[in-house]
Amino acid sequence: MTKTMMKTKHAVYALLGTALFYASCSSKSEQAVAPNIANETITQASLKLTNEANAGDTTSCTYTFHVDNNGNVTSTDSTALILKANSKYDVKVYMLDQTQSPVFVVSNEIKDRQNYHLFFYQPTPINVAPVISNTSPYIPGTPVSQLNPLNLTIARTDHDTNNPPLEVGLTALFTTGAASTGNLRWILRHQPNAKNGTFAPGSSDLDVNFVTTIK
Amino acid sequence: MTTKFKFLFILTVISAFSAEAQISSSLSPIHLSGMVYDVKTHIGLPAASIAVKGTATGVQSDQDGHYTLTVNRGAIRIHCEYLGYISMDTLLMLSGNRTFDLPLKPSSRALAQVNIQAVTSVRKEIATQNLAIIEGSELERTRGLSLGDALKSVTGVTTFQTGPSISKPVIHGLTGTRVLILNNGVSLQAQQWGQEHAPEIDPFIANQIQVIKGAAGIRYGADAIAGVVSVHPKQLPTDTGTMDGEINAVGMTNSRLGAFSAMLEGALGKKLAGFSYRLQGTVKRSGNTSTPNYILGNTGIREDDFSASLQYHHKNYGIEGYYSNFNTKLGIEYDTEVGSITDLQQKIAIGHPVTYYDFTYNIDRPYQTVNHSTAKIRGFLNTSDSSKLELQYSYQVNTRQEYEQLSFSTSLAPAIYLQIHTSAAELNYEHHDGGGFSGSLGLSGMNQGNIRMYGYLIPNYVDYDGGAYVIEKFTHRKWLFEAGARYDYRWLRAFAFDANEAKINTTTTSYSGISATAGATYHLTDNLKLSGNYSAAFRPPSINELYIDGVHQSIGEFEVGDANLKTERANDFSLNLNYASNWFLVDLQGYYNQISDFIFEEPTNQYYHAQSGALLKFQYTQANVYFRGADLNLTIKPVDSLEINSKTAFIYAWNQSIHDYLIYTPPTRLQNGLNYHFGTWGIFHNISAGAENIYVARQTHVPTGYDFAPAPAAYSLYNAHLDFRLPINNTYVDFDIAVNNLTNVAYKDYLDRFRYFADEPGRNIIFRLRMPFKILSNNK
Repeated sequence: MTKTMMKTKHAVYALLGTALFYASCSSKSEQAVAPNIANETITQASLKLTNEANAGDTTSCTYTFHVDNNGNVTSTDSTALILKANSKYDVKVYMLDQTQSPVFVVSNEIKDRQNYHLFFYQPTPINVAPVISNTSPYIPGTPVSQLNPLNLTIARTDHDTNNPPLEVGLTALFTTGAASTGNLRWILRHQPNAKNGTFAPGSSDLDVNFVTTIK
Repeated sequence: MTTKFKFLFILTVISAFSAEAQISSSLSPIHLSGMVYDVKTHIGLPAASIAVKGTATGVQSDQDGHYTLTVNRGAIRIHCEYLGYISMDTLLMLSGNRTFDLPLKPSSRALAQVNIQAVTSVRKEIATQNLAIIEGSELERTRGLSLGDALKSVTGVTTFQTGPSISKPVIHGLTGTRVLILNNGVSLQAQQWGQEHAPEIDPFIANQIQVIKGAAGIRYGADAIAGVVSVHPKQLPTDTGTMDGEINAVGMTNSRLGAFSAMLEGALGKKLAGFSYRLQGTVKRSGNTSTPNYILGNTGIREDDFSASLQYHHKNYGIEGYYSNFNTKLGIEYDTEVGSITDLQQKIAIGHPVTYYDFTYNIDRPYQTVNHSTAKIRGFLNTSDSSKLELQYSYQVNTRQEYEQLSFSTSLAPAIYLQIHTSAAELNYEHHDGGGFSGSLGLSGMNQGNIRMYGYLIPNYVDYDGGAYVIEKFTHRKWLFEAGARYDYRWLRAFAFDANEAKINTTTTSYSGISATAGATYHLTDNLKLSGNYSAAFRPPSINELYIDGVHQSIGEFEVGDANLKTERANDFSLNLNYASNWFLVDLQGYYNQISDFIFEEPTNQYYHAQSGALLKFQYTQANVYFRGADLNLTIKPVDSLEINSKTAFIYAWNQSIHDYLIYTPPTRLQNGLNYHFGTWGIFHNISAGAENIYVARQTHVPTGYDFAPAPAAYSLYNAHLDFRLPINNTYVDFDIAVNNLTNVAYKDYLDRFRYFADEPGRNIIFRLRMPFKILSNNK
């Protein structure tokens, strides 16, 4: 067989192979795009407050996450928290995942998994250095300022079923002082098999801020 | 005439060489076959005697001049005699089955005996490029490790890790889609773009791992701009009527890893002569890894792999079917999930896990499961004595599921599910003309489809690839010249779910490019050669670089793709110097790889505000960069029983567009070791012991603003091993006891993404056992 003949033969084989190959692969399954379903997301996180002195005096603040079809946050908005001076408020956490139908009440699930969760509440800037201890609801490392303080002290009021029981923070007591303005940073820590009452273990599930006015 | 004979002979024998190949190892016997012929007439010489000097092994050639010898690995001296011809004495370094022809000269022409050095003749796809090989005892000592870790013994190769369970190979500073991985000749098509997506290959199938260090797009198509890792199983047996098996077992004290691999192979006889088969399976379990000071939670691995091959070989044609299935579940270290940059900074400040865990084999969220199956069918036809046609078709399915840690959801679903189907066909024609020309040309085509479910990260897509190439070599006297060109085309259609409106966005892009190679090798002496190679290659942007939009088990990063990215182009220059004598081996490679429009992630000054806090946005962008460096490998054998090895790799990477360094460039790495062969002591055979030091410098060339923490300090590790063989009945068992990180040093590695959170593994004592056995032997 001459070389040219060989080459022609090879070329024919090659073309045949390629043609067969391309004919064999055609798939339409890629075009039927599955919806984007995230296992968990938080679209709304609120604090509902009731004045201890007057059950009819309620207030709240809400942080909303607007998510796109890819589950990414496109924008956020938050309402301000307005409190009366020198008062005590009972605080309840209310969190939702509105991407699910029916709407998923995240805070109820957190209650079920309270042994793995811990909330932190941090007025910033704060008037006195908060005592950062195992029972503190304050976030370690937050700068302390003596100027223009937000006169708010916080105590968590619920406990989980760890032994010994640790605080959770789904409910809390806010005590306000003199009129002032500032921010309230609110963090939920997820600490599976690691919760010890401190901030460090685990990672944050929620980290938001409310403009707070005490008047 | 004399000179012609000489150079022809040199070129046949020294067809390939790599200093990284094993110098000596005595493992299972291998087959050496070939033909004894008259150098002038090329007519086979019957009944010539071929003997291994110093042994009783010897055969006579058959009536066509063909011979087959069963010999041990390592250095052997072949002596060939034929009446009326000049006897030939040749030193061969063998590490696998090989063909070795013996051209004899009639004795009327006076010619001195020829002494030639050769290391296993490896068929190099690109002759003038550096090829490193791991095989023999060096490969045995990586059993139980992941593919990435097994490659670390190659100078210039390191790994990019995500904790102790996930590692990807890095060649000359590049990884991911820029490194092509071949599993038994099939290019691995998975989700290689992911930083924590490890290659889906069971290293137990390997009999040899080849690493091309340099742009190899010419032969392997777009993507292979940094290099190629090729995992080769053993050739299927050809001794008719035989059945053999092999068992490998590995136990490790750290992570309490247990791995067991079994293989059964044989060649059928009588009417079914020509058929041979192999079945192989691996089971691997490991639990939490320990660092010197604490245990890393949730770092276990489960792996179950299976492969089968069946082939039919005739003298001039053959067909092979191969199937492999890789199945793994990889735990991802607890405490490495970060909700925000603040989270990350706190963890970096602490520097170790906040919670210490106990040992367990259980794997909890977060984890990944990956299944990869490959089926291929390959046929060859010897179209003449010196040409061959090969056709291969392969189909691969890769299913990856990533399960994140859930805070409050009761969902059992993964966060991300990706399934990729790939079918590929390749046609290759090879020829070796008498006039010094040899080469190959071929066509390749690929079709890929990606399907995703659950959370969004990358879109569904369909991809068609086609390529055509030609590489020619010309050998003349002491020169080898090589040149090749290739054209590739990629058509990519992505089906993304519109982020704002509930509809599907279809985007179609196409990329094409030319790859080329040109090189020369000059044999200064029989022992010394110099090679220069220039390779041009390109890589189209990968799917994540184009369309990613989200957080992917990444660390404080929100990644944004750019649909308008262009292909990146590499111009890779390398110079290799090889010297090999009985007692001294040098392999020096210097390279300069300039990449135009190099695609990388650039931190923006913007933050993405997730529910869990602020994440830094990283945008894919392009710049001109270069990588330059050198790999030096020295082996000295002052006496036959002692081997001293030194490996040095350094690399410098620079972003020419922004005038800054490139992140994740491997720091300088030195590996110095020695190995002593004690021989036999009582019932212990082939005793050898060795020790090595690995020194990795601190990476001081880091770009500003790209990393969340400074590069970790330099570290120095000591490893040691002891091997021996115990003969048992008709077979033997090879034992290897090794200690890695002997001094239990706590250290962090720059190329481990989890260095922010924890140290690298501590001391690990590894026990390895390998036992080949015969089930059936042919009746000779």
